[in-house]
Formats: sequence, C-alpha cells, structure tokens
Amino acid sequence: MTVSNRTGRRAAVPSLRAGRTISGPPRPGPRGGSGTLRGLAKFAVPAYVLVGVFFLLPQVLNLYFAFTNWTTYSSAITFNGWDNIALLMEQGSLLHPVVVTVLYALIAMAFQNVIGLSLAYALRDSNRVNGFFRSIFFIPVLISPLAVGYIWRGLLKPDGPVNDFIGIVVPGFDWAWLGEPSTALAAVAFMDAWKWIGLTTVVYIAGINAVPGDVLEAARLDGASAWTSFWRITFPLLAPAFTFNVVSTLVGAFSAYDVIQASTGGGPGDSTRALYVELRMQWAQGNFGTGSALGLVVTLLVVVVAVPLVWYLRRRELRA
Amino acid sequence: MTAISMGRRRRTWNALRIAGLSLFAIPWVLVPVWMVVVNSLKPAGEAASLDLALPTDLAALDNYGAVFTEGDYLRALGNSLLVTVPTVLVVLLVGAAASWVFARGRARWQQAVFYVIALSMLVPPTLIPTIFLLRQIGLTGTTLGYVLVLIGTRLGIVVFLTTGFIRSMPIDLEEAASIDGASRMQTFFRVLLPLATPILVVGAIMLVINVWGDFFFAQFLLTGTASQTLPLSLYSFANSSAQSLRWNLVFAHVVLSGLPLIIAFVFLQKRVIGGLTDGALKG
Repeated sequence: MTVSNRTGRRAAVPSLRAGRTISGPPRPGPRGGSGTLRGLAKFAVPAYVLVGVFFLLPQVLNLYFAFTNWTTYSSAITFNGWDNIALLMEQGSLLHPVVVTVLYALIAMAFQNVIGLSLAYALRDSNRVNGFFRSIFFIPVLISPLAVGYIWRGLLKPDGPVNDFIGIVVPGFDWAWLGEPSTALAAVAFMDAWKWIGLTTVVYIAGINAVPGDVLEAARLDGASAWTSFWRITFPLLAPAFTFNVVSTLVGAFSAYDVIQASTGGGPGDSTRALYVELRMQWAQGNFGTGSALGLVVTLLVVVVAVPLVWYLRRRELRA
Repeated sequence: MTAISMGRRRRTWNALRIAGLSLFAIPWVLVPVWMVVVNSLKPAGEAASLDLALPTDLAALDNYGAVFTEGDYLRALGNSLLVTVPTVLVVLLVGAAASWVFARGRARWQQAVFYVIALSMLVPPTLIPTIFLLRQIGLTGTTLGYVLVLIGTRLGIVVFLTTGFIRSMPIDLEEAASIDGASRMQTFFRVLLPLATPILVVGAIMLVINVWGDFFFAQFLLTGTASQTLPLSLYSFANSSAQSLRWNLVFAHVVLSGLPLIIAFVFLQKRVIGGLTDGALKG
C-alpha cells in the first residue's frame, strides 16, 4: 500500500465522475470555434447506419411481429392482436419463464457483486502477488459461456468433484444439483456469475483505487476501523462502479441462454427455462409470432428494470 | 503501538490474506481447470466419473485427434477468427468516429442519438426480426450477415465508453491540428485514435471476449457446418452422441477452443488487467 500508488491514481478521480455516465444529462463538449466542428458530423454516419439497420430496425419489427400469427405454416404474416400473449399464457410459457429469468438474474447479480467486491477489496493494491491473483480470477471470463456450462455440469454431477469434496464431510453425498428443481436454477445462475466475476472484480478494483488516499488516511488518523472506513468512505465513493456492475450483471443475465443450454437445457422439467430458452423452443416449433412476443418481453423487462435502476443508482451516486 | 509491531502485524495480516486468497482460488479456478485438462487426457470409461486423479491410461491423442477430425477444429477456429477480427476492427473504428461526434458535437439531436446508441448496450438485440431482416437482404445464414449483426449490436458499448473518454480529453490537440491545416480524416487517424487508444483497448478486450464466446446469435444466424464458429462446433460436438456426454471428448474440445484466448491472455495479462482497471476509470 504505497502512498505514491494512491496519489498517482488521484488525478483520475474527476474524470471518473464526469466520464462514467450511464444516463446522466448530456454534457456538451468544450466550446471550440465553429471551425472545430465543421465537417465532423459525417463521422457518425456509419454508426447510424449500422445501429439503425441491425439493431434498431429489428427492434421496431419485433414490435409488430410479436402481435402477428407468423409461423412456418402461415402463408402471410397478419396482425392478430393479443393472441400470442394469450397463447403463451395458456401454455404456461410466459409467466413461468419471466419468473425464472428474474430469479436467475437476481441470483447471478448477487453472487457476482458480493464476491466481486470482496475480491476487489482483497486485491485492491497493485503488486506482484495481487497481479497474479487478479489474472487467476480473470481466467473464467475468457472461457466461453457454453464451455462454462459444460464444465460446471461436470463439476456438479452427482458423482462429480463437488460432491466428492462434500463427501469428505458428509459421506455418500450425491445431490444432483442440476437434476433437482430446488437447486438447478441457483446452480445455473451461479455458473453465469462464476464466469463474469473476474470482470466485476476488475471494475471494482478500478473504483476502489479512485478513492482519494488522503481521505482514507484522515479517517484512519481519526481512529476509524477498516470496516467503518470501507462502508462510510470507500463504498459510497464506489457508486459509479457499483452502478455499472449492478446494472450490467442484472441486465446481462436477462438474456440468459448459453450456460443453461449447455448444462440443463431448461430442465429439470421447466425449472431453468428462461425466456430465451423458451424463445428457442418456440422457434424450433416454427412459432415465430410467439417467439417474437417472448423477445419483446425480454426487451420490456430490461427497460422496466434497467431504466429506473440506473436513474435511482445515479441519484445515489450524486448524493454520495 | 510501536512501528515495529505495526509492521509485524501488517505482515501477518498480509500472509493471512494470501493464504485466504489461495484457499479460495484453488477450488474456484484451479480445480475446474484441472478437472477439464486431466479428464481430456483419459479414455471414455475412465473419464466418465470425472474424478481429479491422474489418468492411468493416456488417450490424449485419440481425444484431441477427434476434436480435429470429428469436431473440425481448424475450420471452426478459422471461422471464429473470420468473425471476431473484422467485427472488432470495424466496431472500434466506426465507434471511435461516432464517439468523436458525440463528444464534441453540441446539437441536441446528436445527444439524443447518443442515448439511443448507448441504450443498445443494455437492450438485448431481438432475434427473430434479425433473421427476418437478413433473409430479406439475402444474407441469412452467412458469416457476413452474422458479422454485420454483431457490429450493429456491439457498437453501443464502445460508443458509450469512448464518448465519455473523449469528453474528458482536452480539445486543444484537435484544434491545433485543424489550425495546422489537417483534414478531419487526418486529425481522426493521427490525433484522435492515438489519444483514445487506452479506452479502445478496453473496448477491444470486452468485444473479443463477448464475440469470441457468442453462442446464442451464432446458433440462429450461422446455419450450416461450413461457417461454424468454435462455440457452435463445441455444441454440435457435445451433442453428437446419442448417449450421455462423452466427457473426455467434450473437455478436449473445451481446452482447444479456450486455448486461443488463454494463450493471448498469458502474454497480455498485464495489459489486459491494467488496461481494464485504468480504462474503466476514465471511461
């Protein structure tokens, strides 16, 4: 914990405040003469086109397709109002996947942020040993989510390494983590968190190191314990990193698919059938209308959860 | 409390911390990695139980050979590169150019567009209309179509990070270049891109991780085995036997398809972790 390290970081603090805006008010750039801006606008055109055609247009089309009778068998795509929603409700293919997805996201987000923040606090100083550990904990980030699903499916097998280890304490332990509805959802959400924790950790480390060293030093001299100064100083000042991590882990988990597909395929029964897994099933049956409706539900879920969350967390940041 | 006892306390504390971290890292990362590697070397029967013991019978050649032949590993590797490299390059270039406009421009509508593009970072892309669109423009199932969709849906994160970064950069150098008679294009390539490199490195790392591992979109947008990327190849390889998973083969594939990023990381780890911690601050 060298002083130079902390003071060296301090210069970056103002830019952290100013820069990390998820939905902050637009801040026009510094005033330049009109000459600085001439001919600049066209540089954004390729981005407009690419985002417009391949992101925005499909979103707009989805608003329509979600309310059509489009299937492999239909000769024309026609509007059918709320039929798809009613159909999905009838099949139990709407509310259940929503609940599964939200629970999955909450569990993954909790694991990721609690473990990520703890690791970041333990690894906050930059030195050789911590560099080594940061790299070790980053390895899962590099593994594809699909591979993560297979790896943990193996680790969590009834006769796999995890149960073998528990078996040392509880002889004969052979719980089927992924085969029992009571643990399957938490297990797949955990896998998702496991993959991303290394990245969450790095973002938290950046946030912790942006906390001015002299404030912490002053608190220490005033007799504040490590615990107190973490919760009273470091954690409030971590707000931008916290916002980023909570929102990205939560929203990222709404699109849960790869890990589930590799580990449980949505089972046992339908206990891990998240929205995208259900969408894939509708797609496989040629039900493109109901599939689109499920896609729209994911989008709505993100908008309904993320926008107020960002707004709330940003307000908290400003107060801190 | 004397300085000496403080120092000693700190050292004991540090030793405890390292011991704790090691105790956590072993089951968290090393055991999973060990399980994958050691079982990828065993014959099917021995690997079925997935224990952590060393192989008594080596079947490495058979297993890894199967990944190359049955799994068509090299073609999948080539396809993954063919998808990842252009996507990352185009997203960085197009993203940086747009960020320049959003960071320096003052028009209200530009700020509004910035929000829409930044929103694409949070809102997941829609699948079925995307397939519909690609079918309309004749790119369904092709690598080009897949790459275009990846570009359009991944620009958000880079634009968001880079715009914040450029805003915190002084405008002087760009103005100086303009006074010296540099064209916009020259200023972009000679001044802006070099200055924005730290944040573009962060963007590149995020993109590579994200695009390299993508399975969901690949599964729908890349039909046909000829264009399979590594995750698709892993999936079809794992599902190719009617019975339960052949763990030894699946894990051999996991090792080989994970290797490119792991190797890159081993060489670049300081820059990756350092870039992410520094860049995350400024983004």
